[in-house]
Amino acid sequence: MSSNKLDKESKKRARKQMRAAHTVLRHAGISTVSHATQSLVIANGGLGNGVSRERLLDMLKGFGSVLSLLMPPNKPYAFVRYDSFEDAKMAFLTLNGCKLQAEGQPVTLYVNFVDKVDFKEHSTQSLPPGLLVVEDFVSLEYEQELLQLMALNTATQAAPKKSLKHRKVKHYGYEFCYDNNNVDLNAPLPGGLPIICDDVIDECMKNGYLKSKPDQLTINQYEPGQGIPPHIDTHSAFEDIVMDFKHPDGQNVSVLLPQRSLLVMKGESRYLWSHGITPRKSDVVPVINADAAQIVSSDLGNLTLNKRETRTSFTFRKVRQTPCNCVYPSVCDSQSAGKLNVPPSVPQSEVDASRLEQDFVHKVYEEIAGHFSSTRHSPWPKVVEFLKSLSSGALVVDIGCGNGKYLGVNKDLYMIGCDRSRNLVEICRERQFQAFVSDALSIPIRDGICDACISIAVIHHFSTKERRLAAIKELMRILKPGGKALIYVWALEQEYNNKKSKYLKENKAQLSQIDMKEAKHYELTSITCTHNMEDTSEDTAEEPFQAELTVHTNRTSFLSKDLLVPWHLKGISKNSRETDKPRVESDIEPQSSAVFHRYYHVFSKGELEELCTKIECVQILSSYYDQGNWCVIIGKLL
Amino acid sequence: MKLLTHNMLTSHVKGVTKATEVKVTDVDFNSEFVSRMIPKIEWSVLVEAADTLGHLNDLPRDLPPDYESSEDFLRKVHHVLLEVEVLEGNLKCPESGREFPITKGVPNMLLNEDEV
Repeated sequence: MSSNKLDKESKKRARKQMRAAHTVLRHAGISTVSHATQSLVIANGGLGNGVSRERLLDMLKGFGSVLSLLMPPNKPYAFVRYDSFEDAKMAFLTLNGCKLQAEGQPVTLYVNFVDKVDFKEHSTQSLPPGLLVVEDFVSLEYEQELLQLMALNTATQAAPKKSLKHRKVKHYGYEFCYDNNNVDLNAPLPGGLPIICDDVIDECMKNGYLKSKPDQLTINQYEPGQGIPPHIDTHSAFEDIVMDFKHPDGQNVSVLLPQRSLLVMKGESRYLWSHGITPRKSDVVPVINADAAQIVSSDLGNLTLNKRETRTSFTFRKVRQTPCNCVYPSVCDSQSAGKLNVPPSVPQSEVDASRLEQDFVHKVYEEIAGHFSSTRHSPWPKVVEFLKSLSSGALVVDIGCGNGKYLGVNKDLYMIGCDRSRNLVEICRERQFQAFVSDALSIPIRDGICDACISIAVIHHFSTKERRLAAIKELMRILKPGGKALIYVWALEQEYNNKKSKYLKENKAQLSQIDMKEAKHYELTSITCTHNMEDTSEDTAEEPFQAELTVHTNRTSFLSKDLLVPWHLKGISKNSRETDKPRVESDIEPQSSAVFHRYYHVFSKGELEELCTKIECVQILSSYYDQGNWCVIIGKLL
Repeated sequence: MKLLTHNMLTSHVKGVTKATEVKVTDVDFNSEFVSRMIPKIEWSVLVEAADTLGHLNDLPRDLPPDYESSEDFLRKVHHVLLEVEVLEGNLKCPESGREFPITKGVPNMLLNEDEV
């Protein structure tokens, strides 16, 4: 090997090492340092890369005495702390660029010093409410008998065994139809459930796990590497496996289910949390007590990988005969607003766009009006400044006025508000403001009559460029020549001029970006995050076309321009305006919070101005960035 | 809904106001404000609406040219524009006959998809 080539390779390694340092900083907020310390962050050496604790520890011990090794679940990095600087330095010098076989895939390790290992795992976890794991529920012999059901394909009473994309499945009682995610009540399968299952059912009834006798059984069989995407069973368990539970607010709990155990899902865990099995060949499990049912959690010094084998699950259900009326309307197929059972797509047509806005903007605001209004009391100073700059007696229309927080800021104006949400307009009326219900694309106001208009946080709810443009044109239509309009839209850039917006600053959860990468897509393929640091740094830069809208994690940077933003509804009644009233503790049911999703198109720098210049009579008077929003004041030419 | 608000609506929704509940509230009089509003108003529409509601308040069919100097006139206009409110009723499109309900003082101007 020529010295030239050597030089090239070491340069390449140094570059990648730098890049890994940046990536850890950006994704996990971990700062690396250039001087030697006792601790190292090992990029690509994480459980998320398929590197097991045992494997990594073996390697690390070769350089000295390891005090601790922290391996956060699903993350593409690990932290090691050595007894001395010398040991750490040795590891640093030797490990960089070192290749390792992990689950048959080669990974390259990049190592950097860190001052201290400060990895925050969000709060101590508990099982989702309503979830129960009963270990050793089924005996070894009985397990074999049950497994025969899947092996035999002769039973007359079952729907034929089918191979789905990621698992094999067999139904008894009723066939679950994957086209519409429901059962046909009128077409029960002959023979009901296999008699052999009676023991399981009787045991469940006896112990009170079940209230009524199940009439549907689904047997799923997964090979290693297969899984099931996160889902909530349409509003209607056995081998060691880790099942991931996700709350709509982004909370994740991974639960280890030992072989021959029973999992009971009731209440919130059944109706609100999604559950799924990440398709992979091994699971992150605790080193100690690895076969006991437990949450795979925060003791980062106690996690490793467990290879999967073939796994068969038996799910017993009772088929529901009437529409569901649960307290989780946001995820209920019987109750529709903002539901996510079928994730919506980026609209391709006018009809799609209008429907998307109806389900994920209009209906949602109608549901959350009371709670939304209680959080919208302080007017933004720059909007107030605009309204105060107008001359006395000016006629001003607020398009998308919400609860009317701007309608009374300048008593010398005649202000009329309009909003698509009747519940919000009624709040305006209670405040003695003039307001009506109407659509921003067809404002029932005469041409050229208004001295000024404001459109604050409205146009980002339109789901196509054509509709956003039409909304601005409609503002210009009602404006008189010489009149002006102030428009605010949410900015893609929540960090501008090196300052974080208030929206980001209020993030209490401090979720790392890597978490969001995992949580954002519905698609199976993207649930498994890209476990290679080099890749992640690249694909966040470009904006791939997405068929499905991504769900944004509140108080974090936006990862795409078209997205669904969760709203966590507080309070019991759906559009309760009573939420402001004091309530005694016992009145608040813990399961009363529901999550709705609002569609947003966040604007990138210059996009709003570009849209405005498409309209002939418009002159941009000023444009600015204000607290995470892009804003323009536009004038209508005389 | 005040009649000033009503006056700003497009012609296709403001036809005849059939009101079953009308409220009159006191609003502070500001002659300058009223004078500034009058040029924005479609006078005949205001007169017709006020008449339908039984609150014509002696408004003339034609706008007097020297209205700014008559406080008495401006007070009458003030009353009709700002103090009379329709709480329950209907707005009707004179051409299509389509009605838009006003309930609890809130007009609902939403069109069905096929009407847009």
